[in-house]
Amino acid sequence: MTYVISAPPHKKERIDIQKLNMGKIIALIPLCLVAIYFFGVPAIQLIITTVLAAVITELGIQKIFKQKVTIGDGHAALIGLMLALLIPPEAPLWIPVFGGFFAIAFGKHVFGGIGSYIFSPVLVSWIFMRSAWATHMTALSLPNTGQLSDLILESGAGMLVDVSPIALIAGLYLIHKRYIEWRIPVSFFATIVLIPQTLLFLSGVYGLIQHGVLNPLMYLSQLFAFLSISPELPYAMVGVLFFGIIFLATDTPTTPVTKNGRLIYGMLCGLLVFIYGYFGNYVEGTLYGIFLASCVSSFIEMNTRPTSYGNASFIERIYGRIKAKVPESLKFEVIK
Amino acid sequence: MEIKTLDILPEKVIIPLKQHIGAVCDPIVKKGDRVLVGQKIGQSEEYVSSAVHSSVCGEVIAIEQCANPDGNKVMSVVIQPEQSDERVEFSSSQSLSSDELADIIKDCGIVEHYGAPTHAVLRPKGKKIDIVLINATSSEWIGGKYKNPEEYAYQMMDALKLLMKTSGASKGAIVLRTDDRESIEAFDGIKVDNRRIVVAPLVGGRKLDYYYKEQGSDVVVVSQKRIYGKKILNFFTYNVTGRKVGSGCDPTDVGVAICGVKSAKALYDVVHSGKPYYETVVSLEGVDGKTDHIQVKIGTLFKDIIEACGYNGKIGKIIANGVRTGVAQYTDQVPVTKGTTRITLQKPEHVLIDESTHCIHCARCVDVCTVELLPSRIAVMADKGQFDECRKLHIENCIECGDCAAVCPSRIHILQFIRYAKQSIGLAYEGVPSESASGPKAGSACGGE
Ligand code: SF4
Ligand code: SF4
Repeated sequence: MTYVISAPPHKKERIDIQKLNMGKIIALIPLCLVAIYFFGVPAIQLIITTVLAAVITELGIQKIFKQKVTIGDGHAALIGLMLALLIPPEAPLWIPVFGGFFAIAFGKHVFGGIGSYIFSPVLVSWIFMRSAWATHMTALSLPNTGQLSDLILESGAGMLVDVSPIALIAGLYLIHKRYIEWRIPVSFFATIVLIPQTLLFLSGVYGLIQHGVLNPLMYLSQLFAFLSISPELPYAMVGVLFFGIIFLATDTPTTPVTKNGRLIYGMLCGLLVFIYGYFGNYVEGTLYGIFLASCVSSFIEMNTRPTSYGNASFIERIYGRIKAKVPESLKFEVIK
Repeated sequence: MEIKTLDILPEKVIIPLKQHIGAVCDPIVKKGDRVLVGQKIGQSEEYVSSAVHSSVCGEVIAIEQCANPDGNKVMSVVIQPEQSDERVEFSSSQSLSSDELADIIKDCGIVEHYGAPTHAVLRPKGKKIDIVLINATSSEWIGGKYKNPEEYAYQMMDALKLLMKTSGASKGAIVLRTDDRESIEAFDGIKVDNRRIVVAPLVGGRKLDYYYKEQGSDVVVVSQKRIYGKKILNFFTYNVTGRKVGSGCDPTDVGVAICGVKSAKALYDVVHSGKPYYETVVSLEGVDGKTDHIQVKIGTLFKDIIEACGYNGKIGKIIANGVRTGVAQYTDQVPVTKGTTRITLQKPEHVLIDESTHCIHCARCVDVCTVELLPSRIAVMADKGQFDECRKLHIENCIECGDCAAVCPSRIHILQFIRYAKQSIGLAYEGVPSESASGPKAGSACGGE
């Protein structure tokens, strides 16, 4: 009898790129259905055209450059779908066609294909089109979560993705199944919630100082600001933000691989999105914020590399860095 | 847990003359000789080596190169057993001095499951051992050889004392697995030297030293969570004692000797009954996922074990020593050696044939790594041949558990890359004295807390 020989491990988790992408596509389907219900036929057209454009572009590029055709792994389709959700349904049909093409050709394959791009192809394409055809790409209305029911069906939605934040709930399941790693979404979300609340607290304290209040209890009572909702939050809690947190910011090639790096990346996304959202709006703020954060992702990664056994404390790390800079001739050793 | 004893008369047994790290033994029998159970058939003058014994009574039919579960060929003694249990006289030898114990260990062929001869671990040349650990974290075979768990615990404590005596170490510890209730219960509450043993968990910064102090004793029993891997010793040492082992060094450099349950039991047997190391327990994991624990004679062929357990369907892959890091066998005519702990069978349709694609930086490998490495980066650097970069990423800490390769959605053969890089680094610095500035030990003398 003959036996197969190969290097270990001989048993692996049954997970592959195709499954990861399919999982995300399936998680987006409820949102698509709500969007179709909300926007009708244009939404269907939009979704189908973008996905088709993306897949055909990938097929074409891989055929032309004689690469292995990988449309089966669902990555192109996923990019197409995500992009479709970010285009206003009133846009003429050539917009999604061009968008799908641009995302795959210039967002993905120019950088070297799956795993090599530094910016999420969806964002590359979206930002390009937003700059080139601002009229077509600006949504008619901006969402604002005024009441709780807006989380279920957002009446001010201008893009497909905004129609129903609650429809993205499947994303939580993806996080639970570890199709999406939890660190970025959690730190992103925490930052976006905590910054406005902290500002609320600080402005309260500032007001007290201006009134010349001396009672420390009054200052302490300002801590209750963390319990009330800052007026900023309803603008922030819109579908596109949740979409960004779960699907865009976690596009793995654009994020650091180190554990701490991912936490920092999430915070940075949160900070940038907040700044943009505070002065502009959160719909575009989310997309630009994440795009900008990707620029520094490898910088974050380089600076959060784990040390030996990953157990060096902060001070040890600083000490190590200083020690590395001291020239060899100045070092001395204790001889036992 | 029940342990079966393999009770068949195989056609032949193959006893490799090298079942350890170190020098190959010279055969001391000839073709045609009749050997008895427990008779010494190979030994070596070298210090780092360990004698081998016949596990059956029969006739030597050949001394030749035979396949070995490590994947290579080794000079082996092939014996045709006969229906007889005639054995050499075993004499128990209690109250021995430390030197005599070390000699006996070598003479009775006791080796660690990771390959090193036990006496060389306990008394390394030019180093001093002060802590002896018995790693009982992967002992899944308490029953069978022992009447009850308590006996297991007492024997282990005795064995630990013997090991400490041999090495001259003043301290010792038995390390259990936190989720292994059976063993923990066995040890909890037994009395040794009028002192109740309490199994202490290794959590947070509490390492062995803490418990030595807290319990006011030189012998403690602790438990830690499950870790596994091929190159686990350095990490294990760090985890248990808090001593960091520099790269290119091994635990003996920091004064720690690590023994396994099997060798401890073997030493106990030698001292109390004089029986050398010629039997071992292996787990056979069949195609249907059922696991049997079987006591077999060293040298029994995999084929005989598989047949005796009644697996006769088509087998696609035979793996020695576990699915994560084990070696796939190209033939079933390989013998069980002292280092064999587990045989796994896979059906042809379960055999993985994976093609690597591009890394998508999903960081799954980073999240599973026990020792906090960046396997994906190391794999890239190893692939490019940038081994110095690998060293900067602490490749030497890798315990070769294979988890990273198992979870990779892109099916990148990370473990292979890591092994390749480690080997290349090893070759590059072969013969470079360890004090030299650029050697792998540069900047970190072996040892330190
Ligand atoms: S790098 Fe991979 S094989 Fe090495 S310890 Fe980490 S997970 Fe295990
Ligand atoms: S698990 Fe595989 S694909 Fe993911 S980061 Fe590691 S090497 Fe890359």
